[in-house]
Amino acid sequence: MNDAQPAALRGLDGVLVALAVAVAAHVSSLPTWITLLLVAAGAWRWTAHRRSWPLPPRWLRVTAAAGATVAVLASYRTLNGIEAGTSFLVLMAGVKLLETRSSRDLTVMIFICYFLLYAALLRDQQLRQLPWLLAGVLLATGALMRVHAGTVGDSLREVLRRTAVLMLQAAPLALALFLLFPRLPGPFWGIAAGESARTGLNDEMTPGDISDLSVSGEPAFRVRFLGPVPPPAQRYWRGPVLHEFDGRSWRRTRGQAFPQQEIVAVGEPVEYQVTLEPHDRDWILALDLATQWPQREAYRSFDFQLLALRPLTELTTYRLGSYTRYRAGLALPESVRRKDLQLPQEGNPRATVLGRQLAARHSQDPQAIADAMLRMFREQPYVYTLEPPKLADNAVDEFLFDTRKGFCEHYASAFTFVMRAAGIPARVVLGYQGGELNPIGGYMLVRQSDAHAWSEIWIEARGWVRMDPTAAVAPERIERGLIGSVGANEPVPGRLRQQSEVWFQVSLAWDAANDLWNERIVRFSAAGQMELLERLGVEDPDWRALGLAMTASLAAFFVSLSAYLAWKYREPPKDWPARLHAVVARRLRRRGVEHDPTEGPVAFLDRAVGACPDLAAEIVAIRDVYAALRYGPLPTETDLRRLKFLVNRLRP
Amino acid sequence: MRAAFDQRLQAWLRRRQGVDRDPVLLHRRRIYILPTRLGIAYAVMVFAMVIGGLNYNNNLALGLAFLLASLGLVAMHHCHGTLSGLGLRLLATDSAFAGQDVRFRLLLDNRSRAPRPRIGVVLGSAAFRPVDVPAIGSTTTEVAVAAVRRGRVPLARFVLETRHPLGLFRAWAVVHPAYVAIAWPRPAEPGVAPPGVETDTGGAQDHARGDEDFTGLKPYQAGDSLRRIAWKAYARGRGLHTKQYAGTDVVSHVFDWDSLPGLDVEARLARLCRWVLDTHAHGEAFGLRLPGAVIEANIGTAHFERCLTALALFDRGDASE
Repeated sequence: MNDAQPAALRGLDGVLVALAVAVAAHVSSLPTWITLLLVAAGAWRWTAHRRSWPLPPRWLRVTAAAGATVAVLASYRTLNGIEAGTSFLVLMAGVKLLETRSSRDLTVMIFICYFLLYAALLRDQQLRQLPWLLAGVLLATGALMRVHAGTVGDSLREVLRRTAVLMLQAAPLALALFLLFPRLPGPFWGIAAGESARTGLNDEMTPGDISDLSVSGEPAFRVRFLGPVPPPAQRYWRGPVLHEFDGRSWRRTRGQAFPQQEIVAVGEPVEYQVTLEPHDRDWILALDLATQWPQREAYRSFDFQLLALRPLTELTTYRLGSYTRYRAGLALPESVRRKDLQLPQEGNPRATVLGRQLAARHSQDPQAIADAMLRMFREQPYVYTLEPPKLADNAVDEFLFDTRKGFCEHYASAFTFVMRAAGIPARVVLGYQGGELNPIGGYMLVRQSDAHAWSEIWIEARGWVRMDPTAAVAPERIERGLIGSVGANEPVPGRLRQQSEVWFQVSLAWDAANDLWNERIVRFSAAGQMELLERLGVEDPDWRALGLAMTASLAAFFVSLSAYLAWKYREPPKDWPARLHAVVARRLRRRGVEHDPTEGPVAFLDRAVGACPDLAAEIVAIRDVYAALRYGPLPTETDLRRLKFLVNRLRP
Repeated sequence: MRAAFDQRLQAWLRRRQGVDRDPVLLHRRRIYILPTRLGIAYAVMVFAMVIGGLNYNNNLALGLAFLLASLGLVAMHHCHGTLSGLGLRLLATDSAFAGQDVRFRLLLDNRSRAPRPRIGVVLGSAAFRPVDVPAIGSTTTEVAVAAVRRGRVPLARFVLETRHPLGLFRAWAVVHPAYVAIAWPRPAEPGVAPPGVETDTGGAQDHARGDEDFTGLKPYQAGDSLRRIAWKAYARGRGLHTKQYAGTDVVSHVFDWDSLPGLDVEARLARLCRWVLDTHAHGEAFGLRLPGAVIEANIGTAHFERCLTALALFDRGDASE
C-alpha cells in the first residue's frame, strides 16, 4: 500500500483476498463463466487501483448489473435458492468491484463475503471445508477492521492477528449460543429443493457409459448396528429398483401404481441406525430388506424400496430394522409380472436367443436358468474391470458375446435381460454392497465406491430372489470390496489406504472425526439441547431452562470479558514506595486531605501534616523515609521495611 | 429552537458532570457507546443469518451467525475498553488572530499496558483525525476552534471518540474542560506606517549602541566607563583612551493608544496589532502604551506574544493574562 492512494480505499487488497476465499468455496458449483467474470473483474480492479485508472462510467455499471441479473435468471429461471442466489451474489460482487470508490463500497463487498460463506454452509456441512470457511471469516473480518478502524500503519498480518484474537474471544459465546439458542421445530418458509448434482446413486443405469461413482471415496452413509454386524456377503444396501429397459438404459417405473407385496421374515431382525449423507433423492439405503422404519417419515414401495417423503437434502438419520433372510412377494400381481418381463421390441437379438435357449434347455425352471447364466459368467472368460470398453447400440449383445469386460452394471443388466428373455420376471436393483467397520467410531462406513448393481428374479414359492452376477465373475468384490477385485493399475479410491498401515489408521480416524462432527454438530437439535441440559444436572429440562441457561452464559461471558479487558488495560505495577504512598493518600482521604495529581508526593505529605496535626509525627516520619528511599543517596532494604511498618501503623 | 434546546441540554450536562480539571481521567462510567450505521447493518445481516439458519434447520449456518454476533459483542467491549481509562490534559494553546483557528494541543495519556488505537476529537464539523496512543505512552492531538473575535476563546466541551476495532460501535466521552486560548485582534490592513522612532525612552543613548565588536580607540572623555579604558595603551604611555565598540542598530518604537484619536476601540487595536506585527517582523524593538498598561520596549517572541495578548484582552477583564 502506498501513501498516495485515497484513505477511503485503504483495505482494497484485504477485501479482494477475502472475496477470493469466499468465492473459492463455491467454485465447484458455480458456472465457469461466472467465476471467470469475477476473476477478470478482480484483476481489472486491482490493476486500476495500482495504475490509478478511472473507474467505468455509471451507464456501464448499470448495464453490467442488469446483464448479470438477466444472465442468472436465464441460467436458473430464478434468483431464489442457494445455487442461483450464490451465482447472483458473486456476479453482484463483480459489478461492485467496478465501482469501489469508497469505504462504503468495500463494506458492501465484505458483507457479500459473509453471505457467500453463509451460503457455502447452507449447501454443504462437511467438516473438511470448515478451516477454509473459518479462514474466510477471518479475512473478511480483518478487511472490515482494516477498512473501518484499523490503525494506519498496520500490516495485513498484524490486522489478521488482532482479528484472530477477537474471534478466539468470541468463540466461547458463539459456542454457548450454538448449544443453547432454541431451535425451531419447523421451517418458516419453503425450502428450495436441492439443485446441485451431488455424487450418489442415479435412478437410471446405462451400462457402457462412464460411471465416476466407483472412483469416489466419498462417504455415502454410516451405519451403527445395535446388535451383531451382518457378514460381508449379506451387506446389500437396497436403493432404487429399475424396471424399465429401452435397449440401452434401465429406469424406475413412473406414474403407475402397483399393489403392495407381502414379506415373510425369517430369523432374527438386524436393528441399526443409518445416517445418510445428503443425495437430493428420496431413497433411503436400507439393508435388504427393510421391515421397520419411521412411519411418519418414510414408506416402502411395492418393489421394497424405502422412500423418504422429501428428498434428502441434508444429513439425515433413520432408525431401521431389516431381515437378511425373507420371502418377499410370494404372490406376484399380473401388473408387476408384466412390468418385469417387458423387453424392447428390437435390439440385442443374440441375448434374446440365449434367453430362449436357456429356457428351453432347463424346461422353464427359473433357478436352473439363473444358475446356467451365472455358470456362463464364471466359466467363460469374463473380466471384472472398472475400465470397460465403450458399448454401442446393442449393448447387451456386445457385452455378452464380444467385449466380455465390465463391472457390476454390465453384469446385472445382461443377466436381467437374459432372464426376461427366458420368461422369468426380473429387475435390476441399485444400491451399495459392503461397508468398512471403523473401530475408532464404532460404526460402519459405506462409501460411494461401494455402489453396486444386482438383479432380482421371481421364483414360484420363493418370491423375489437376489441374484448377483458380479459375485460369479468376481467373488472377491463381495467379500473384500472393490480394491480386491480389480487389476492393480485401475484407479480405485483407497488403494493407498490398503497399502500403508499408518495411512489406513489416519483415514479411519479422519472418518471417525467426520462422523462425530455429523452426529454432534450437524445434527444437533432441540432434543440434543435437552439432553445436554440433563447432563448438566437440570431435571426435566424445558424451554425455560434453556432460556435461563442461555441468559446465564451470556452474563458469565460479559463479566469475564470485562474482567479480561480490565486486566488487559491494567496499569503496570508501581514500585513499592509509590504503592505505599498511594496507601497513605487513600488513608488520608478519609481525613479530607485529597491528593492532587499535580502535587509532588513530599509536598502532599507536608500539606497533610498541616491538615492533621494529631498525625504530624507519623506523617513526618513517613515523609522522611519516603524521601530517603526516593531521593536519598543510598536507599536500603531497611528503609523500605521501615516505610511499610510506618504506613501500616498509620490509622487515621 | 433546536439549537436552543441543544445548548440547554449541553449546559445541563456540563452542570451534571461538572467541569473537568486537568488531568482528566475518562472513567468507564463516562463512556457512552452505541452502534454505528455500519453496526446496525451488521446486526441486520446477522439477524437474517440466524433466521435463515433456524428456517433451514442448519446448525453450521447458525454457528456462523452466532460467531459473527459474538464477534460484534466482543468488538463492543473492546471499543468501550479502548476509551475507558484514557488520561487527557492540555499541553499548550496556540493563539491565533481573530478569524483564524486557535489550537488546543492535548496530550492523550495511556497508563495501561494495552495500546489504545484510533482515538480522535470530535468538535463541530471538523474532520475526524484519530491518533493511536501506544501502551504506557502518550500521543498529542489538537482541537482547532475558530476564533470569531479577539479575546479569550474557551473550549468548554468536546467529544473524544473511537470506533476501534471493527467500526461497528462508536464509544465516546464528553469532556467539559476549562481550557482557554487567546485570539489576538485581527490586524489592520498594512498601509499606515508606524510612528517614528522614539529615542527618549530609557534615557540618553547613542544611536550606535551595542558592544559586540571592537572598532577602535578614542580619546578619553570624562564620564566614559572605567571598564572601557584601554589600560594596556595607557601602560605603554599613549595616554587615556576609551575602547570603542559597535553593535547592531536597535531601533525602539513605542506604540501609543493615544496616538490614534478618532478611531473606535477595535480599529485602534487592529492598527496597533498591525504595527506590532510589522515591527516584530523587522526585528526592531517596540513597546506598547495602552490605557492602564504599559509594556516597555523589547524584542523577542515572548515579548511579541505578550504585546498581542495585551491587545487581545484589552477591555476584556484582567489584562495581565
